[in-house]
Amino acid sequence: MAEQPPIPPPAAAAPPQPPRKVVLPPHRERAHRPWRVRAEEWVRRNLFASPGQTLLTFASLALVGLVIAGAVWFVFFQANWRVITVNRWLLFAGGFPLDEKWRLWLSVALVFPLIGAAYGMWASLGRRDLLFIALAGAFVFFLTAHGDAGPSSSVWFAASLALFFLGYRVCRFVPRETGRPRTLAVRTLAALLALALPLVLIVLMVGGGAQASQFGGFMLNLILAPVGIVGGLLLAVPLALGRASSLRAISWTCTAYIEVIRGAPLIGWLFVALFILEDVISSPLIVRTMIVLAVFTAAYVAEYIRGGLQSLPRGQGEAGHAVGLSHLQTLQVIVLPQALRVSIPPIVGQAIGLWKDTALISIILPLRELVGNSRAAIAQAEFIPDRIEVYAFAAVLFWIVAFMMSRISQRMERAQGVGER
Amino acid sequence: MATHAPQPPAGLPEPPEVPLVYQRRIRDLLIQALYVAVTALVIAYVVLQLGGREYGFGFLNQPASFDVGNQWLTNIDGTTNSRFTMYLVGVWSTIRVVVLAIALSTVFGILIGVARLSSNWLVSRLAMLFVETFRNAPLFVQIVLWYAVVLFGLPTIQNVINVGDFLFLSNRGIAIPWTVPDGGFWGGPDWMVGVWVAALFAAGGLAFWVRRRRQTAERETGKVQYPNRWALGLFAALALASFILLGMPVAIDRPIVEGTTYAEGMAIYPEFAALLLGLVVYTSAFVAEIVRGSIQALPRGQTEAASAIGLTAYQRLTTVILPQALRQIIPSVTNQYLNVSKNSSLASGVSYFDLFFVANIIQNKIGHAVEVFLLITVTYMLMSLVISLIMNYINRRVTLHSV
Repeated sequence: MAEQPPIPPPAAAAPPQPPRKVVLPPHRERAHRPWRVRAEEWVRRNLFASPGQTLLTFASLALVGLVIAGAVWFVFFQANWRVITVNRWLLFAGGFPLDEKWRLWLSVALVFPLIGAAYGMWASLGRRDLLFIALAGAFVFFLTAHGDAGPSSSVWFAASLALFFLGYRVCRFVPRETGRPRTLAVRTLAALLALALPLVLIVLMVGGGAQASQFGGFMLNLILAPVGIVGGLLLAVPLALGRASSLRAISWTCTAYIEVIRGAPLIGWLFVALFILEDVISSPLIVRTMIVLAVFTAAYVAEYIRGGLQSLPRGQGEAGHAVGLSHLQTLQVIVLPQALRVSIPPIVGQAIGLWKDTALISIILPLRELVGNSRAAIAQAEFIPDRIEVYAFAAVLFWIVAFMMSRISQRMERAQGVGER
Repeated sequence: MATHAPQPPAGLPEPPEVPLVYQRRIRDLLIQALYVAVTALVIAYVVLQLGGREYGFGFLNQPASFDVGNQWLTNIDGTTNSRFTMYLVGVWSTIRVVVLAIALSTVFGILIGVARLSSNWLVSRLAMLFVETFRNAPLFVQIVLWYAVVLFGLPTIQNVINVGDFLFLSNRGIAIPWTVPDGGFWGGPDWMVGVWVAALFAAGGLAFWVRRRRQTAERETGKVQYPNRWALGLFAALALASFILLGMPVAIDRPIVEGTTYAEGMAIYPEFAALLLGLVVYTSAFVAEIVRGSIQALPRGQTEAASAIGLTAYQRLTTVILPQALRQIIPSVTNQYLNVSKNSSLASGVSYFDLFFVANIIQNKIGHAVEVFLLITVTYMLMSLVISLIMNYINRRVTLHSV
């Protein structure tokens, strides 16, 4: 592989050492020195440890300066943000009727406390999370506080944010250690989370609300991704068990399904939803898209669950049978809980992937999610040169959600000790 | 898992007969039969529903009647060539972008992954910022954003940015110097380039052989043999010697701006540049995370031991850390390479004529969605298969050598 380094010759004789000063243990020493000295030492050790390091530091500084200067120049002097403020409703809600705005905000107010509760249950908000939430909140608040969105939007948003912290606070009272109270709380929260999506759809559609075909913009991404991931999870469990099954007919078909789905890119399957699936399932395009997203995600998630199943020692299942549990009972109470726990991190990764993949729906489908409507925005004669602004805005919106998800998953892993078993 | 009941000891009464439905083999068979029947019904339903279409791959052999943009295959026009030929042009465009993206994202990914672990605070923070920024934004949005930056962020070709007459930047793309066959000082024919490339291959083979011999000698005798330096030096010497002997058959051609287009050199068009940039930046963020994770998974003692025997930071990385981390890196990175091959289908968002874009055009013109989809899927699967095979081969070699 690589060249063997020459072994340095042993030193002929150790040069005489100057007498050393007595070195205090680090904690004693630290207490004696003022912060200025410590800061100086930190800078020396972490930035200017050697000539090479100094060079690297200055090169990085130049890069940082260049990027920051470029970004500031673009954001504050060059960009025309009117394209966003004018098209705000188009980008966020697409064809959703403007009069029914309260339905959107009610959904937000329903979902936010649940997210806060999930944070409180499985993780804690650090200073960085608070900073991030404050920044993202200020960003959205700025967007809602101007123009046609009106002052009521700001009120709705502030209330949702307050509910987020309320949910978080409440769930902090749940004991951390496993036990009956915690199990109960976790189950309640899981049930609420599972109910959230249908509830949101009811709020949006029932009683003179919007049609499914009117869904659009960022809202559509926020609906499609959870549907895909929940549907995918539900499909993935039987698929994974089927692939691991000892019955050949079942394991072969499940393997074939997984490999074929993973063989073609998502946009290929969206192609199927548009041109082929319409003959098989007569339903609106949005429903077909949801089916395709779930079916696609299931193949990937099934592989992660299979990994979890394989990581379990054989003895687990056998022990279940030995104490007289049936096959299904063994799966339900012994094998699946452990396998799913191990596969949580890659499944969350897949969820983030699906969230980002909702951005490519509009490449071939006539569904106008955020990117599709971004294209619509820059198709307006006035805003043709403002492509960078619109796509940068879309990227930031997608990024905020994906980053939140990855933070939550990191925290969950650390809190649950997943991967450290 | 057919489990055979243990034979009862002689003298005991026979155990009662188990009903057929509860016997393992019978039950398994019944379940599978039921399963196969249900699956067959579903498939039959799908086939029946799709039966109303016309099928057949004949449409692929008809004239295409549309053109696809490809920088080098400019002589393939839609009026005389078949749809399948056009599709193959698309496949070639895909392969070009995938190979380049894989190579570049590997290099940048390793660099950033190592930078992430740098003892320099600023460097490691910058690497982290890079990873977090580009990993969490959708690839498609990144690609269209890069496209927008090239189209609207760069000046028009009339105000082209000229970097020392060898690099041009404008919204018509980026022009870089490129090689052209040249008669050289002997005025030889163009195929002399081919001869030189053949000579390069021969030199490479020879260098490889020398490297292996020296490595073996090093392993057996324990004396330093510098296999890499020898191999590289030999290759460089042979390459230079053959180049001069053949009369310098290759010249470097600088790009020039002619009116509103680039001439000579090589032009990288905005569509290709945006797609490649998007794929490379996005994938290298993931590769960097893989590299970081794999290096961190090594026991700390490895680094400490390497420092203890007096290796420099560079030697530590190349001879102790990376060879061991590679064993963990390669399987994960293979997944990323497969993703690159599939993500290249986002090309249609910036009108780069990759295989999916061409297939979509064919479908829009003539229909036959099912056949077109089969064609796409088979192509992507073949590509994945080739990538997997190559990576498996590399994986085997790496695990064999560095034990």
